[in-house]
Amino acid sequence: MILLKGVRVFDGEHLREGLFDILVEGKKIERIAPKGSLSLGDGVKVIDLEGKIACPGFIDIHVHLREPGGEWREEIKSGALAAYYGGFTTIVAMPNTNPPIDSPELVRFVKLTGESVKGARVLPSGSLSKGREGKELTEMRRMVNEGAVLFTEDGSPTVRTDLLRSAMLYLKDLGVRVMEHPEDPYLSENGQVNEGRVSALSGLKGIPSSSELIDVERCIILSRELDVPIHITHVSTKEAINAIRKAKEEGVKVTCDVTPHHLTLDEEKVLESGFDPVYKVRPPLRTREDIEALWEAIKNGVVDAIATDHAPYHVDEKDLPFEDASSGIASLECAVAVILDAWDRRGRSIPLEKILRLFTSGPAKVLPERYRGLGYLREGGIADITVIDIDRVSVVDVSLWRSKARLTPWNGLSLKGWPVLTLVEGELIQ
Amino acid sequence: MEWRHRHLFDLDDWTREDIERVLALTSEIEGILNDGGKALPSLKGKTLVNFFLESSTRTRVSFEIAAKLLGMGVINWAAASSSMAVKGESLKDTLWTLESMGVDVVVVRSSWVGAPQYMARKLRRARVINAGDGTHAHPTQALLDIYTAWKRFGSLEGKRVLIAGDILQSRVARSDIIGFKKMGSEVIISGPGNMVPLNYKALGVRYEPDFAKAVRESDIIYLLRVQKERWQVNAIPSDYEYHLSFGCSEEALREARGCAVVMHPGPINRGVEIASEVADGDKSLILEQVRNGVLVRAALLYLYLGGDA
Repeated sequence: MILLKGVRVFDGEHLREGLFDILVEGKKIERIAPKGSLSLGDGVKVIDLEGKIACPGFIDIHVHLREPGGEWREEIKSGALAAYYGGFTTIVAMPNTNPPIDSPELVRFVKLTGESVKGARVLPSGSLSKGREGKELTEMRRMVNEGAVLFTEDGSPTVRTDLLRSAMLYLKDLGVRVMEHPEDPYLSENGQVNEGRVSALSGLKGIPSSSELIDVERCIILSRELDVPIHITHVSTKEAINAIRKAKEEGVKVTCDVTPHHLTLDEEKVLESGFDPVYKVRPPLRTREDIEALWEAIKNGVVDAIATDHAPYHVDEKDLPFEDASSGIASLECAVAVILDAWDRRGRSIPLEKILRLFTSGPAKVLPERYRGLGYLREGGIADITVIDIDRVSVVDVSLWRSKARLTPWNGLSLKGWPVLTLVEGELIQ
Repeated sequence: MEWRHRHLFDLDDWTREDIERVLALTSEIEGILNDGGKALPSLKGKTLVNFFLESSTRTRVSFEIAAKLLGMGVINWAAASSSMAVKGESLKDTLWTLESMGVDVVVVRSSWVGAPQYMARKLRRARVINAGDGTHAHPTQALLDIYTAWKRFGSLEGKRVLIAGDILQSRVARSDIIGFKKMGSEVIISGPGNMVPLNYKALGVRYEPDFAKAVRESDIIYLLRVQKERWQVNAIPSDYEYHLSFGCSEEALREARGCAVVMHPGPINRGVEIASEVADGDKSLILEQVRNGVLVRAALLYLYLGGDA
């Protein structure tokens, strides 16, 4: 038994008044009671967390674990452990592996491998099309039975609209949704940076905001027409997030996530750093104005989740001239701190609850019904708990990461606000 | 006075005084060469490697001649037959290998934007000179262009420079815009809309879609090569249509100012961005640019490799 002593409690929706003790027994949360009110028997490991905030275990619905076929970049084992140390208890593995996760057998492989390693719970997602070729639907029903929680062509958009529409209808009664990587493949072909000031000054091929908006609008149109939910991942532009806001106001069942890097880094970083490839990512880093629009959307409840899009590469694939380097930012082990630090720098003007929802009940709602409970902290629930300290200051040191990634934009930076303790199904990993 | 730049990536972190120093030294070198060249400064014992990952005639050869004028050793590293191309050696290892053998300056041409910056981060001792990185920058071209125009006009203050053509993908345009503006010139750009960066104002230039009008109003008419190899979709429906709208013909030039000159970084596409009559005509400074390229690069090598001029 573990007792988390003297914590503040964020239950998934609200930060409760007062301090509490949380008693964990086995895999379950036994009690959440006012501080000091529980009488404890022997054998309780008491952890003093006075004033820290206990939350439902954080969920990251967009992680690249690279296994199978890219184990030099990351493995399910290293990624699950990295996630745990980053404060996440549940992560969704993206299916753009080699081979892609496009069959029930491969979904089972990810699921079983995830269950065999220490760290965060790994939920598989499935490729929407066989071989990620964008032509034929995968065996989605069998894949759902094996544990697939989302279907996506991530890494690429679902190019054929007929295939996307068919997938949405096919999944309608299963309660599993499509996650779309919003991009127009032609407008962004060979794109390196945002189209704007930096592309004009550097000559690097720009990816226009319209590339994202066109696909976001396409998803909204289909969702409205079919009355089927769809999730749009890594929204990076003002135009796209505003389109989603309008659709939501209208009642369209669209959900979305944003990444820590699109919330904190702007395109100027590419120039300021002399084309440091750590800033190369898709969608590209956008402008200050886009960043402000994304935070505004968080404030207004338009954003459902923060997802890392943790995209690890080996140094040999990343530490290259900008145009030759692979696109992707690794952030699992500092993502929560990046967000809490940014929230702090913004004067903590957004209620903390709104930020914490994006790691908990928000992403849980994107997942199938049976996983919704993971987004809430309650007696009798699974003891997935992330405790954060919003005042803790610590420096990012990528050389200590459990992830195989050794490059990240935040390396060496001091950030304020970190996860300090994480329990997965009641277990503390050391 | 010591030269304050360690590497040459682009002119954006240069001052006007930096440019003027290059102009003065180039002019001095030109004078010495006209007198038989005996008093040229020497960089004997230093080694330059021409590290060209992309094809080039004039830039590579002019660096070689410039280095030899100063008594330097020159290695023309050949990308196609290198261990990098044939045996898969990484760029980083290739650089470290060359540096270990005592190379002092790496002159790099690459199709990758930011390759010179990357290389400078990896090299411990050797200097890097950007001889063109993808669609980004080509500072030595800009300096030779400025030298050529400066020789002709004396001062570039208040001169109007028209840069026309594929601005979007031109490293020459970007560096020339920065350089000419630092010298006090006004730069206007012209070309079809799909060849102009949407955010061209970030470059500090004015866009004049009417090429003929821009030609009439300019002192320096700088034409860019249409870089067909870089386009995903054909930005130009035909060479002929381009020539009619944005090519510099004798007719277009007839309306130009009396003092106007025509420049081009080469290689030229006759009948596309420039008519043969114009390229070979008396307003053309194209071959002078090529000749000055050697002088300017000699001056740059001298400044970067610690000459005590």
